[in-house]
Amino acid sequence: MANPAASHSHEHHIVSTGTYFLTLVKLICLMVLTVWIASFNLPKIGPISGTVVNQVAALAIALLKAYLVVTIFMGVKFGTKLIKLWASIGFIWVLLIFTILGDYTTRHFEPAVGWDGAAESALPREAPEDPAMPKPNDLNLKIRQ
Amino acid sequence: MDHGHEHGHVPGLNHQYEDMAQQSDTYIVGMWSFLASEVMFFGALFFIYTLYRWNYQHDFYVAHEHLDVRLGAINTTVLLFSSFTMVMAVQSAQLKERIRVMGYLAVTVVCACIFLTIKYFEYKSKFEDHLYPGLSFADDAVKAFGNHALENGHVAVNMNHAQMFYGLYFGMTGLHGLHVLVGIGILLSLIRLWYNRANTVIHDYVPTEMVGLYWHFVDLVWIFLFPLFYLMPLPH
Amino acid sequence: MSSTDTTLGELHPQPHREAPSYLDDGHTIASWLLTGDHKRIAMLYLISVTFFFFIGSVAAGLIRFELTSPAGVVLESETYNKIFSAHGVTMVFLFLVVAIPAVFGNFFIPLMIGARDLAFPRLNLASWYMFMTGGLCILIGYIAGGVDTGWTFYTPYSSLYSNTQVTLVLVGVFVSGFSSITTGVNFVATIHKMRAPGMTWFRLPLFVWSMYATSLLLILGTPVVAITLLLVIFERLFKLPIFSPELGGDPVLFQHLFWFYSHPAVYIMILPAFGVVSELIANFSRKRIFGYHFVAFSSIAIAGLGFLVWGHHMFVSSQSMYESVVFSLISFLVAVPSAIKIFNWTTTMYKGNIVLHSPMLYAISFLGIFTVGGLTGLFLGSIGTDVHLTATYFVVAHFHYVMVGGTMLGFLGALHYWWPKMTGRLYNDTMGKINAIIVFIGFNLTFFPQFILGWMGMPRRYHYYYFAPEFQAYHVMSSMGASVLGLGFILPAFYLTMSLINGKKASSNPWDAHGLEWQTTSPPPTSNFLETPIVMDEVYDFDPVSEHEQDMKDQAEHPSDEDQGHMPGGGHH
Repeated sequence: MANPAASHSHEHHIVSTGTYFLTLVKLICLMVLTVWIASFNLPKIGPISGTVVNQVAALAIALLKAYLVVTIFMGVKFGTKLIKLWASIGFIWVLLIFTILGDYTTRHFEPAVGWDGAAESALPREAPEDPAMPKPNDLNLKIRQ
Repeated sequence: MDHGHEHGHVPGLNHQYEDMAQQSDTYIVGMWSFLASEVMFFGALFFIYTLYRWNYQHDFYVAHEHLDVRLGAINTTVLLFSSFTMVMAVQSAQLKERIRVMGYLAVTVVCACIFLTIKYFEYKSKFEDHLYPGLSFADDAVKAFGNHALENGHVAVNMNHAQMFYGLYFGMTGLHGLHVLVGIGILLSLIRLWYNRANTVIHDYVPTEMVGLYWHFVDLVWIFLFPLFYLMPLPH
Repeated sequence: MSSTDTTLGELHPQPHREAPSYLDDGHTIASWLLTGDHKRIAMLYLISVTFFFFIGSVAAGLIRFELTSPAGVVLESETYNKIFSAHGVTMVFLFLVVAIPAVFGNFFIPLMIGARDLAFPRLNLASWYMFMTGGLCILIGYIAGGVDTGWTFYTPYSSLYSNTQVTLVLVGVFVSGFSSITTGVNFVATIHKMRAPGMTWFRLPLFVWSMYATSLLLILGTPVVAITLLLVIFERLFKLPIFSPELGGDPVLFQHLFWFYSHPAVYIMILPAFGVVSELIANFSRKRIFGYHFVAFSSIAIAGLGFLVWGHHMFVSSQSMYESVVFSLISFLVAVPSAIKIFNWTTTMYKGNIVLHSPMLYAISFLGIFTVGGLTGLFLGSIGTDVHLTATYFVVAHFHYVMVGGTMLGFLGALHYWWPKMTGRLYNDTMGKINAIIVFIGFNLTFFPQFILGWMGMPRRYHYYYFAPEFQAYHVMSSMGASVLGLGFILPAFYLTMSLINGKKASSNPWDAHGLEWQTTSPPPTSNFLETPIVMDEVYDFDPVSEHEQDMKDQAEHPSDEDQGHMPGGGHH
């Protein structure tokens, strides 16, 4: 690892024009496929709605295209382990941002009352009185002397 | 053994490196690190899109109907082809074929220009229909989206949410377009370096490869933008 | 302290000078402003961050002055809002994130790994220019009226309602963010690919490990805040709706995205300080760092886990309760690697041969102060207590303990440790020690009362507290402490600058420390080493027995040196 003069396969491996051209053809075919699939409203699969099926199909094809570009055009397939790691780390890390969805899926996405045409929000503006809660004056607290 | 002053004799090798292999490796690691940061940059935008699309599915669908799938598909093809010519340019650089390098790079630039031109026309049609975010965003759903806006005769789209869609559309494709524009600048500089037989590019194909990596990244972003904006499925 | 005394240290004789030092290699302005030399760029950064620190400190002084009276003293509320926002923006984006990496990382990473320069010297220079452009933008924003949104720029106030210079300041922050990213790229490429022969990963100084972890955070975290702030700019300029509730946007989304970076940002601030403290404690205890692998891996663990805890800044923001619980749990987990480091440093000192020079005093202060800061973070990380403590002075005290008591002490310790190497001059060590004590006392006097204030309910970012005049005693104590702390920050400017004028010339290794940077001259030549070093053993190869013997020998031969407060390695005959 520390010897800088160690040769690496990347420098000497020249990919053939044929491979590149074939990859281009595959990419264009995938593009045509994704446009074609998008013209159908796919049926639901089990509990998963048709919309999601369509979307997953489109994203799967996009991922396939991305995989071809990254591995062949960007040379990751022929690169060192470090390059393979570096190429994957960006995409894996970006998934972390999507964990923000964890917040939104576990609560009601709530537009503010009166704005955006929303008639009312899930939570009322004034909380109703809960008879079990003590009223402030009952607490007999002396916060300030 | 004095390493300090003898390196100038290897053309294209910078003084802080021991040999070309180390320099090339370091350039590639550096470029991929930069691309990792770009992935996070666009990734946050993709996340914002995901969140709002998930919450406003119907409105986003109606709003997206104004986009022309054919133009999007042509743009995708053009960019994919430009990625091909870019990687051919890198291959030619590896084989030290200068004329071919410049040729392929020139075709890449042409493709990029075609992409931006089509984008210009797309944006123009949005502006004509007042579909750009801001205070003068279209109020009339039927005028903007035609029959798609109607459901059982009633207007069924929230124009505020449509404005969010266009905010995201212009934000994301705009930033992508900016990256394409910057890419054109970089490609033109690269052509000039090859034309002038500069030491940086003649003796080492890696600078050309670095530009290639950037260009493929730009293509990658579009590969995801295209289905998300143009090929939105009907909520069903 | 005569400058004609150029006698060099006996223990590590100066290598024969064949090349001029980097300071002498060109005296024109162009040779500095167009340099590719990482050491010169580090000095440029040192001047810049000192300048920005001064500006942030003036704002801090105004805040503390204003808070001495329950109804305010001279400022109006609007102005007060702008002052604390300026303090936050300057200190966070223009000092803390940048200081140790850009000054000491730039200077010492190539030296510590045995390289001639960083991987991308011109990118390094561009990085400094981006930093200065961003900083200048921000300063112009202040002069044109400043921002009153706080350094956190919460929407929709910042994107729609504030009438202040939000756009200008955010453009400045955006541009300086790119400086961070390029610095990170440079460091990662350098550490991976340019280590000297024999310098394996586990022979690296722990400072380099910390800088590597910091660089990962810089590369992966900064772009997220860059795009978020860019969207706020677009929302202000083009009314591009992303966070505005009127159109169905979610303001809390801004908070998620902002804190997704800003929490890793605090680890960007502290990890370099951890690295510095590792160097100081090992070298001034004359002992190998205990648990080297644990300390190295804990840096990476902090970098990784640090990306998973941002929600603990949002417990009261209407974030889902379930998500909050997850964040609270992971926040407790991320405290573990930091604690591991503290234990390892303390154990390193145990039965070590401790030498209390000024850098070591900063390191020891760090241990105590950072521990307090870290532990109080746990109160804030548990949701029940956070509901009461959030947005109070408890939070302010907590983050100042870790940022000032952590990063700033790390910065000062690094400055005092590496000053002889960077400038080739020795400063008065007694002054350094007195200063360390002043900083320690001033710091605790300033910020400990703030814990109590926060617990009692004093809200943060409030201009006045007339509704609770009993807080005044604590505020006054805090402000008095701030004056002492300010003295502690100003004094180094004097005695360090004086050392440039009439300090003794330093030998290559005045502290008798270990590390490749001490194997070259002080200051180093432009190409760092006259021959590429070959590394045979790990860096902290102290042997306690022979160190002790050498020390006894030194004491016997030169009994007076220690008493006079001279630094060793400078005055031996």
